[in-house]
Amino acid sequence: MRAFLQRFGEREALLALGCIVSGLVFSILSPYFATADNLLTIARNSTELLLIGLGMTLLFGIGGIDVSVGTVLGLASIGIGRLLEAGVAPALAALAGPIAGLALGVITAFVVIFGRIPAIVATLGLLGVYRAGIFLALGGSWLSGLPVGLTNLLAARIVGVPVSVLVIALAYCAVFVAVRLTPFGAHLLAIGNSEARARLAGIGVRRVQVAAFVISGGLCGLAASFYVATYRNVEMTIGATLALEAVAAVVLGGTAVTGGRISLLGTALGVILLRLLQNGLLLVGVPSLWQPVVTGILLLLTLGAEALSGRLPLQRLRPSAVGAAWRGGVR
Amino acid sequence: MTPRVSPILAILGLMWVVVVAGLAVLKPAAFALSTVTAVLQFSTILALVALGQALVIVCGGAGIDISVGGMVSLAVVLAMLLVNAGLPGASLPVLCLALGLALGLVNGFLVTRLKLLPLIATLGTFYVYSGTAVALTGGAAQAGVPGFLLPWGRGAVGGLPLPFLTLALPLFVAAGVLLHATSWGRWIYGMGFNERSARLVGIPVDRVRLAAYGASGTLAGCAALVSLAWLGGGRPNIGQNLELTSLTATMLGGIGIFGGKGGVFGVLAAVLLLVTLQTGLLELNVNTVWQVGIVGTILVIVLLIDNLALIRRTS
Repeated sequence: MRAFLQRFGEREALLALGCIVSGLVFSILSPYFATADNLLTIARNSTELLLIGLGMTLLFGIGGIDVSVGTVLGLASIGIGRLLEAGVAPALAALAGPIAGLALGVITAFVVIFGRIPAIVATLGLLGVYRAGIFLALGGSWLSGLPVGLTNLLAARIVGVPVSVLVIALAYCAVFVAVRLTPFGAHLLAIGNSEARARLAGIGVRRVQVAAFVISGGLCGLAASFYVATYRNVEMTIGATLALEAVAAVVLGGTAVTGGRISLLGTALGVILLRLLQNGLLLVGVPSLWQPVVTGILLLLTLGAEALSGRLPLQRLRPSAVGAAWRGGVR
Repeated sequence: MTPRVSPILAILGLMWVVVVAGLAVLKPAAFALSTVTAVLQFSTILALVALGQALVIVCGGAGIDISVGGMVSLAVVLAMLLVNAGLPGASLPVLCLALGLALGLVNGFLVTRLKLLPLIATLGTFYVYSGTAVALTGGAAQAGVPGFLLPWGRGAVGGLPLPFLTLALPLFVAAGVLLHATSWGRWIYGMGFNERSARLVGIPVDRVRLAAYGASGTLAGCAALVSLAWLGGGRPNIGQNLELTSLTATMLGGIGIFGGKGGVFGVLAAVLLLVTLQTGLLELNVNTVWQVGIVGTILVIVLLIDNLALIRRTS
């Protein structure tokens, strides 16, 4: 049992347990919770957040953060929507999402890494710029009733498995392989632990940092393809709470805020727990307006518990770690 | 340690002149005492919040307060709900300040006692505060501000709005005196400049930092009071985008993001420049949705210019 826990991860086991327990509680409180339809809804609602969370995990790994992820998803969604409206083939429109995301990721990386601006400040500024961009691109109205081509494409089955599941599994595996089996992952964690030492060890620090931001942007763009396919509309406030939810899920998953330790599985379980709680609370009659409050409290409780138990010193504020987190991994 | 006069401020001053000149050419009618009053009226809330943001950042230790807007919104909503639930209307000013202080101290507790990274801790409380403000009211504005506040909130002497004259300006002067003429001020710059040395020489770093977050909350409470007295009602989204604008104002005002650098009067100047810019654009019929984008652009460009100059000097 202990060997299993160590292999699987204590935090991950705790999260899985949390999912099961809250699932049981909600299925007692609401007869609609444990239905196949509802569980499918939770899974579908988790997809965008899972993809964005993976990118955010990498950013946390280098001691960075991106609070503009929701607006990157929004801009990419508008691009996809316009292409679909213009009658472009769904497969091409779906590709436009990740491409737009990658491009925006390059901009973010440029501003943070080469401009030497703390990631939180730079991405907060970009959040404002992108939000205005969304207003402008939408021109005061929603994109709604988009063609179903993209929806059908992602719902199509290859050997019985929906394309959407394949794409998500592929994205997760790609990030997992990159982190666990290539030098990129080792470099990422080395930078998060100590940028100065990573540089002395001959790691191309900037290249890895840029890569993390660009990958995160690309994953936001991919999430946009799923968003458009699922909802077939793009509203003004698109992605308003995604940044908080992604940060909360990543922190829940045991990734260190100050860099140097990440868990992709933890992030995935954190995303599922978050969406499960949101869905369950809605079913037992808590208005959806309270969702950001619940997410914020969950984030603070997780961090507070870690700080009080003192078992995860990485999460605590160390001078060197602050430097890394603050400069957004610069210099 | 000396307050630096930011080259950025000069750039912004130039932009300001351009906008004012543009306004003079395109819409001469906008030049009136009432415009000055309006600009200062709008500036008051931002100035108060930006002062708190500046204090937190100067204290260093990766200090930042993302939750300022949330604190303003929640203080407004809670104070109005309490007054409407039967508390005497005369207690509204005290309620606003006390609520702001309490919310700020929560941030301070998370940062100094639990040692959480400020940006994550205040990102969390930002959503908790602003979410609670909206959820408690269902997004509806709260009416019922006691009448005695309105003459103060809307009054002006010689074109200067009373809240600006009697609240924002004295508080900036007080903060300036605190930073430059008291040992607390020395401590704040010292710990912002080098926290480890500050601890070694016995500066009560955690207590000062807790006080800074408390001050940021109290100033948000002041901003809440001004908004109530001015608008005559409590809007649960009043603090929207304040985190971005206040951060922009502090950066423009020459506060160093790593702490220990900058003074408060640069911040006040930056606030006035920013609000004039926004008002000018509004007068020129530039859509309001641009404003958040323009503020964000200014923030990024200003920091880029600042850092590029630094990089060129050092290399």
